[in-house]
Amino acid sequence: MIELQGLTKTYAGKDVVKDVSLRIESGEFGVLIGPSGCGKSTTLRMINRLIPLTQGRIFLGEEDVTELPAEQLRRRIGYAIQSTGLFPHWTVAENIAVVPGLLKWDKSRTSQRVDELLNLFHLDAGEFRDKYPHQLSGGQAQRVGVARALAADPEVLLMDEPFGAVDPLTRDVLQNEMLRVHQQTGKTIVFVTHDMDEALKLASRIAILNAGRLVQYDRPIELLTQPADDFVRSFIGKADLGLKLLSRRWVHQYQQPARVLEHPASFDNDAASAAYGWEVDAQGRALCLHGGRLHADENEQRTQVTHEWTATPDMTMKEALSRMVWFRVMVLPVLDDKERLVGEVAMQGVMGHEPSKQQALGQE
Amino acid sequence: MLSTQASNGRTRPLVANRVLLTLVIAAAIAAALLSFVAMAPNRLVSGESINLIVALRPWQWIILILLALLLASCALTRPFSSPSSHYLTLIAAPLWLILVLYGLGDYANRALQEASPSARVSQGAAFWILVFCPTLMILDAFQRLQTNLGLRGLYTLILVAVVAALFVTGHLDGLAIMHEYANNRDQFADEFIAHLRLVASALGPALVIGLPLGLLAHRRAGTRGALFGVLNFFQTIPSIALFALLVAPLAALSEALPLLRELGIKGIGATPAIIALVMYALLPIVRNTYAGFDGVAATTLEAARGMGMTSAQILWRVEIPLALPVILAGLRIVTVQAIGLTVVAALIGAGGLGAFIFQGLGQYAIDLVLLGAIPTIALAVVADFLLQILVALSRPPGAR
Repeated sequence: MIELQGLTKTYAGKDVVKDVSLRIESGEFGVLIGPSGCGKSTTLRMINRLIPLTQGRIFLGEEDVTELPAEQLRRRIGYAIQSTGLFPHWTVAENIAVVPGLLKWDKSRTSQRVDELLNLFHLDAGEFRDKYPHQLSGGQAQRVGVARALAADPEVLLMDEPFGAVDPLTRDVLQNEMLRVHQQTGKTIVFVTHDMDEALKLASRIAILNAGRLVQYDRPIELLTQPADDFVRSFIGKADLGLKLLSRRWVHQYQQPARVLEHPASFDNDAASAAYGWEVDAQGRALCLHGGRLHADENEQRTQVTHEWTATPDMTMKEALSRMVWFRVMVLPVLDDKERLVGEVAMQGVMGHEPSKQQALGQE
Repeated sequence: MLSTQASNGRTRPLVANRVLLTLVIAAAIAAALLSFVAMAPNRLVSGESINLIVALRPWQWIILILLALLLASCALTRPFSSPSSHYLTLIAAPLWLILVLYGLGDYANRALQEASPSARVSQGAAFWILVFCPTLMILDAFQRLQTNLGLRGLYTLILVAVVAALFVTGHLDGLAIMHEYANNRDQFADEFIAHLRLVASALGPALVIGLPLGLLAHRRAGTRGALFGVLNFFQTIPSIALFALLVAPLAALSEALPLLRELGIKGIGATPAIIALVMYALLPIVRNTYAGFDGVAATTLEAARGMGMTSAQILWRVEIPLALPVILAGLRIVTVQAIGLTVVAALIGAGGLGAFIFQGLGQYAIDLVLLGAIPTIALAVVADFLLQILVALSRPPGAR
């Protein structure tokens, strides 16, 4: 847990950050977001005192760390930055071992920890330990940067736009990996970004800052449904608000029992153009869809189920909807991890069915 | 002449390596037109010019012509293609170099047998060009091959060893410059050591003063203007003037303070020389130290701070290792510069190899001048080479 109380930074008489108070619980993924110059980076860097704070207190767990010597504090807080800041003259293993070295861990413990972290990020220890930073791709370097920040098992991990400089494809992969690592380690994370989609994807709580002040601190779904003021509303972006909302909703919230056809051969597609049904095999795997195409006059009345247009319960509704549109079907089969048909999610469901608030929030 | 034959022989003169071809042609023209050696009845008069063909034995100049033809063909696109033509150059050029040296010594020994004891054999212009050209060919070939430093070092070492063997075995003793050496053997060793000592005792203080100043310039932006202004000013003072300017105040100081006099600090001699050399050495050292620290990425430093390194740990573990190649490059400049400037220091009685040069100039004895000049050049080249290796070794591994 990390708590900021009345954090203020004044440069030359001007408040860059003013009275920011927020509490990020253990294991939460907190994201600070706002337009450039809003003070989000300054706030983050005040936490590990790379920028000395003018006023306020910082608590790590129950401990007031405001007066702790900066170096000691920093060794307890992981720090990852946009351009990785890897030391070019040290190998990957040496880079990761920096904080354990400062804390005087013994060699075998450090070396074990390095391997453990490389494995956590799916980097082969044998291959990567002795590489130098310039031999890594952008994505690999960023993984090593985060691994280094986690090396001494810090209480809190600070990340300053860590994926800002990588290409969109790599960024997506790194974001997924970050979610997985967060789940596996249960670390408390404070993450700075200016990208709302990134925030919505990663955060369990989002703090929106504007002109040095904390405007709203809420769970993503509340931010979308109950913006505190016009600034938040415009910052979230009105145009694709619906899609953003769906990006925080999951297929299992919209899932309905699948309409399985008992006698697929006798399916009558003339009865109603909107009618459809699934043909399944003996193991319960979906084979094909009868009907259910976007237009009644589509040639194929029987559509083979392929992996590209299926959904899983933990897929976002945004992605499910996107697949329906792209593959021109009214309904997606929802498959479990053994590819069995466990339900369906339909276009009408997205439009008409509003999951109860409780249900939507329960996912957060 | 030799090379024109070569290129006319091949009807399509598609030149692959213009540098090499130019060098071969230059060497050929020099060999044809300029004197290879000069034969004089004594050390003070200028001698009679003797051409390469006359000076060398037939087998020697025939091999030289063949080597020139081979090198010229290496410069063309055919018959040898890119990497093999460079390797061939690396074999032929040093053979040429050694043969020219050997032939020179051989001629001197033969010629002196029939002449009076005071007769002198000196190198002519063609000789220098014939030594210079293959050296450039070797450097050029290495440049094109982009071989690693270790291989280059080994090659140079072997070449130097062979050339040194020619001197040590006494094969070149007939040359006038070796006569001068024989006459001044003890003094040569003294002046050589004095030269090295002057350079070393200037570089030590220059590093001790320059490194912290460079760090200061990096840490405090406000000091930069004044600091570099002063150091640049030192650099603009002509060396002879600076040496001379220091004599009077130092003499006065030494007069006033007996303690200094006991320490051997006087208006002339080593003290003003070392002070002047330090003043000249400061700018490159301070500038490169500053540039080296400035080149460490800001994000690297931020990461180091963010992980809880202390300022001292950041300095010693991150900044210095990353700045070291640039700092050593500055040391390389300064060392070569100091070796050259120390020659001038002989004028104010500091000694060193410059003593021979000024003595030789005074006596019109050009071979005595060379006895000072050639070792100075060799010293500078060797120092440059060694420091180049040091710079390469100091680069972060993997980035070499």
